[in-house]
Amino acid sequence: MAASDQSPITKSYQPITWNFKLLANDMLGGFGGMGEGMSVQIAPDGRRIIWLAHESAPKNFTAVDVSDPRKPKVVCQTDLPHANMRSNSLETCGNMMAVAYQTSKKDLTPAGFELFDISKPENPKSISFFDCSGPHSRGVHQLWFCDGEYVHCASGSRDFVPTNAQDDQFYRCVDVRNPSKPVEVGRWWMPGTRQGDNVMPPSRHPIDKGFRAHNCNVYPQRPDRCYLAYIDGGMFVLDIADKANPKKISSWTNSPPYTGFMHTIVPLFDRGLMLVTDESTENNAKDWPKLIWVLDAREETNLVPISTCPLPDPKVYAEAGRFGAHNIHENVPLPTAWHSDQIVLGTFFNGGLRAYDISNPYQPKEVGIFMPPAPPGAPTGTIQMNDVFVDERAIVYTVDRHIGGLYILEMDF
Amino acid sequence: MLDLFPSREAGPFGRRLKRERGARVPVIVVTGFLGAGKTTLIRRFLKSPEGAGTAVIVNEFGAVGIDDALIRDSAEETVLLGNGCVCCITRTDLQVALRRLVFDRERGTVPPFARVAIETSGLADPAPILQTFSTDRALGGEFHIDVVLAVADAMNGEAELDSAAEARKQIILADRIVISKTDLATPAMVESLTRRVKALNPRAAIDIAIAGALDPSRIIEPATNERGGFVAEAEHADGITSFVMTRKEPIAWPVFSRAMETLIALRGVDLLRVKGILNVAGCRGPVVVQYVQHLAHPPVELEFWPDPNRDSRVVFITRDIAERDVKVLFAAVTALAKS
Repeated sequence: MAASDQSPITKSYQPITWNFKLLANDMLGGFGGMGEGMSVQIAPDGRRIIWLAHESAPKNFTAVDVSDPRKPKVVCQTDLPHANMRSNSLETCGNMMAVAYQTSKKDLTPAGFELFDISKPENPKSISFFDCSGPHSRGVHQLWFCDGEYVHCASGSRDFVPTNAQDDQFYRCVDVRNPSKPVEVGRWWMPGTRQGDNVMPPSRHPIDKGFRAHNCNVYPQRPDRCYLAYIDGGMFVLDIADKANPKKISSWTNSPPYTGFMHTIVPLFDRGLMLVTDESTENNAKDWPKLIWVLDAREETNLVPISTCPLPDPKVYAEAGRFGAHNIHENVPLPTAWHSDQIVLGTFFNGGLRAYDISNPYQPKEVGIFMPPAPPGAPTGTIQMNDVFVDERAIVYTVDRHIGGLYILEMDF
Repeated sequence: MLDLFPSREAGPFGRRLKRERGARVPVIVVTGFLGAGKTTLIRRFLKSPEGAGTAVIVNEFGAVGIDDALIRDSAEETVLLGNGCVCCITRTDLQVALRRLVFDRERGTVPPFARVAIETSGLADPAPILQTFSTDRALGGEFHIDVVLAVADAMNGEAELDSAAEARKQIILADRIVISKTDLATPAMVESLTRRVKALNPRAAIDIAIAGALDPSRIIEPATNERGGFVAEAEHADGITSFVMTRKEPIAWPVFSRAMETLIALRGVDLLRVKGILNVAGCRGPVVVQYVQHLAHPPVELEFWPDPNRDSRVVFITRDIAERDVKVLFAAVTALAKS
């Protein structure tokens, strides 16, 4: 009956825009390979600035004036001190910004995070640098900074000797109430990953990406909880009421049989739900399936997976680049962020940006796709959507990992 | 689900939507009598940039699919329904075709098409087609009719309206009417048909197509965006009337739904189309309701009111049902619910 068997459009990868409206694309002056730090600031002069972390050197971060989302304008773009490092993650809170620095090898500097005064977006001023370098450390991969007081980060440390070289980054909480003198106040690592632990090191996964911290989200609804993704170690809910002594409340992992790399945990407090994402790290969908998972978290000590956000047949997407889940909009607890417990927006590399309606959390339903054509010069020949942020106006910002820069969209569903 | 995982963002009818169709695929139903120019209109639309990504379902009343052959070269997907009329013999085929499109899209073998255009056979009664989309079970969860468009031919339209009840019903149930073949007809013929069509359906906007060409936005613009939908009061033909029920004060949902249940139980077959927005007590946004004969669309709460007017407004298109009786029924249910 249906003509799909004869259709010329079947079975090949092609761009799709469905229920999103593209307002603008800015390739950021030819440096459009973007990481996973996106944060919106309302500058003292009233301009709306989105701060973006770069995926890799030579650029550090870029600030874009998005007061008119149809006419983005780069106002600041900075360089890293050298090519053997990256500033993959950043967050802003008021007129302060924290930027993560991770080196490609151990014992290099600068490895840690830097605090900036961004009152004048054209001219960010360094306030301080928190050093996390060391013979076993690559510094900070990811950070969370929303209350102006504490930076929660996935970091190595001079005094931390991992049982496996890949497990160098763990959870650290750093007091920045005096921004010129950040002080570590607490830390937690997965038992078995530090030399001297009294438990055995964890068994490695076939695709070994490390038992190490990634996102460490903390929300004002539960300031005594840290929702910590731990890559190949799954995820943990930590009690951080006493920041000096974080304690494990519960954990959950899908691997094995899945292939590890748990990335982000977003609790939906009113609903007793939790979103958990994996990251696809292998080209050609070799680590398929990497998914967004929905957990029933009404009982935080017994997390129950109840569904995943559906993705299309990977065959169509396996030809080039990565395909699978990565970042989602995290309901960052700032007035400049959109908050929703009904819609999930996630980036899926060559699967683009996808939106899901989770009003029935047992049956997430795809409600929008933005898979633009490959940007000129894209090394994989496809888009590689890496991160997403939605501001309080419900304007969606999403970035390409390699070259495409910033895409600004409206949700149309 | 709402009880198990409650959300302050959701209302009693679930997630509040930006627009009535939410994320569902928009459907354009193109009706019109035999030879009215439906295929030409669709072909011209498909060739426009706005027509990209349209899946077309063609219903032919005849053994050879001529219209299908004409359309296939420019449509995203073309589905030909068999030898029969989409409203009766092949209604199941329509459902199967639409389900198949959804299935193929979810398998990734067909991209998420932007919309579906259904070209009905000239003899089709639009009401059963509308019913097909009226409930979740019958594809209402995936598709949403954005506009029912009736094409009337300036050369022969009046004669067809005189002789065929189906042609009159197509005009009466349409959201928008396109007068075609105006380049072949005299201005007097166009004017006369326009008058006639307006008398049959004063709710619908009337557009003039020149050589089959129409501004594509007039094909894809949802009918709900037109204010005229709530000003109609008319005696049409064949015992069909339309009227608008308005109410200033917020209405309790049980009152509205019970009154509609009674109407459906007693006279469902004569409720040709009921559509409107309600100011439901306890809801932040307007609630869109839609009924086609016995079937009710799941109500949808919108995020925002379309205009400053907060009155409930519902259009009834009915056969042999008096406006007064409906209004008395609603008044009685309202009074009983209070007591």
